[in-house]
Amino acid sequence: MSFMEKYASLIPVLGIYAILFLVGISIPGMWQPVAFIMFYITLGQAFNIFLGLTGYVDFGYVAFLALGAYGMAIAFTTFGDANIGFGIILIGLILAIVMASILSLAVGAVALRLRGAYFAIATIGVNEGFRYFVEGARLWGGSEGIIISRDMRNIFGREAANYISTFVSDILVFIIAILAAIITIQIMNRKMGYALMAVREDEDAAKVMGINVTKYKIMAFITSASFAGLIGASAWTLKMTYVFPADVFLITYTVEAIVIVMLGGAGTLMGPIVGGLIYGILKYYLSITLPGFQLLILAPLLVVIVIAFPEGVVGALKRRVKGDARRFLR
Amino acid sequence: MPFFDQLAGNLIYGAILGSVYGLSTMGLSLIFGVLRIVNVGHGPFIMLGAFTAFWMFTLFGLAPVASIPLALVLGLALGFVVFFAVIKRLINAPELSTLLATFAIGIFLEETAKFVWGPDHRGFSWDIGNVNLGITLIPYAKILAFISSIIIAYLLYTWFQKTKLGAAVRAVVEDSEGAAACGINVGRIYALSFAIGIGLTVASGVLITLFVPVGINPYMGHEYTLKAFVIAVLGGLASPWGAFYAGFIFGLIENGSYTLLGLIPGVEPFSLTRFVAFTLLLVILLLKPTGLLGGESK
Repeated sequence: MSFMEKYASLIPVLGIYAILFLVGISIPGMWQPVAFIMFYITLGQAFNIFLGLTGYVDFGYVAFLALGAYGMAIAFTTFGDANIGFGIILIGLILAIVMASILSLAVGAVALRLRGAYFAIATIGVNEGFRYFVEGARLWGGSEGIIISRDMRNIFGREAANYISTFVSDILVFIIAILAAIITIQIMNRKMGYALMAVREDEDAAKVMGINVTKYKIMAFITSASFAGLIGASAWTLKMTYVFPADVFLITYTVEAIVIVMLGGAGTLMGPIVGGLIYGILKYYLSITLPGFQLLILAPLLVVIVIAFPEGVVGALKRRVKGDARRFLR
Repeated sequence: MPFFDQLAGNLIYGAILGSVYGLSTMGLSLIFGVLRIVNVGHGPFIMLGAFTAFWMFTLFGLAPVASIPLALVLGLALGFVVFFAVIKRLINAPELSTLLATFAIGIFLEETAKFVWGPDHRGFSWDIGNVNLGITLIPYAKILAFISSIIIAYLLYTWFQKTKLGAAVRAVVEDSEGAAACGINVGRIYALSFAIGIGLTVASGVLITLFVPVGINPYMGHEYTLKAFVIAVLGGLASPWGAFYAGFIFGLIENGSYTLLGLIPGVEPFSLTRFVAFTLLLVILLLKPTGLLGGESK
């Protein structure tokens, strides 16, 4: 495959990011909605690396975002006095990745032996169990959580702390989204992508063909979890300046991620972006026009999507696109 | 020894609560056993049963135990509607589709309940006296709940074992293709089993109200969904009877470990009890996914 064939599909993705960024930065009042939508796009992309590429449903995915969020908060509570300025955010991001990938390695090594419904139930168990462990054993502040707004003010000063939570955290999400797109396309272009496609179609057959199924599944799981950790650290801890276990382990976020991936098309590069755009815009404007009714409207919509468009928007589009244009849509 | 009295009292309470847990999980296991679908929106159906009991009691003064038949009929009707509107179209779809669809149905029920009845926590107390067991007082209402659960479970068991239709359901659980080859209308068994599963779940919601004095609200089901998963896995996931017995075990473990964890200083026993429950879930899934009791089933 030529370079163009391999990477052409990144062009529309980066194009959409650029447009969103420009809209957010140039039109007054648009930065908030853009950041809101971007959070869902990025969440979908991170989740797609696992759900889309392997076909396994992880109902406890939000636990990785939660660990990332705690990673960043712990960086502030531990190194708050170390006088390292912006280095603390870097440490937080690294901690987020490390903590999320350790949990994913542990969960993956045991739970990925299970399939289908059993895997889904096991992952719900991990998420809820972890949450109640944090609350019950009073780990990391227990149910009171960790509040870092004062640490942030002390380290960066009031102005800069404000700037970090209202702008820098959103920029980080943009960067994570770009990285996630590049990693996704790299996986799809390599042996790992083909191996996972085989797993998705028929895991037993893939095994018989000599593919190291477990290795690729765990690799996809850890990659996806690390991105989730980064999202939790930036879009939650840095933005909200607090971490509460009741919020960060909320199963709703997992379901939102599943909806986005399904809506756009599981296992496609463009899918989570289209899904995130549709879901983010719908949710944002429904919460303004019909506050309190978002879920009442989204739930039946989800049922319709599942029944009528099981391949998602991009999955259905891909069938129709012919010739050279196909390279741009993966 | 006040501690052992407390432990014994909690264990008796756990067994009583466990019978209701068991009943509330039978529907989940029945649906999984027959249709191979995990009803992720299980809890909201329990919530509907709880509201049925609440309104029957506050509007007409009907005793919760007397609301069970009504809840059962409501649940059956709702089960058929959900089956023909959604589930039927997803029987052969990938797992992800049914997980998502049932979750969405659950959210829809919750949001509808919130829209109609508001988000407040409600409750009622049905006080018909206590029985003194020496170490602890048990309200008669809870004993009635215990007896009702056992009667319903027994009736279902008899129906399964003694009637032709029950045998057909069992055949579909064993092997749906084989059952179809024997002339069983598998589609109809699917519909019936789904409806019975939902009916049982809604009916169990009625009994749950006797254990949550002020906990009736649109989102109360979430907790029971998660508990039902643990119990269902404990009982083998595909077996309603396994689930019923596992409910007892879960009730005992939950209340027993709550008492024991309360001895550890500096922890919140309530949260840690749930941690224990989910740890149990993981351990069983890994060591014996067929459940503690369902060793023979696939």
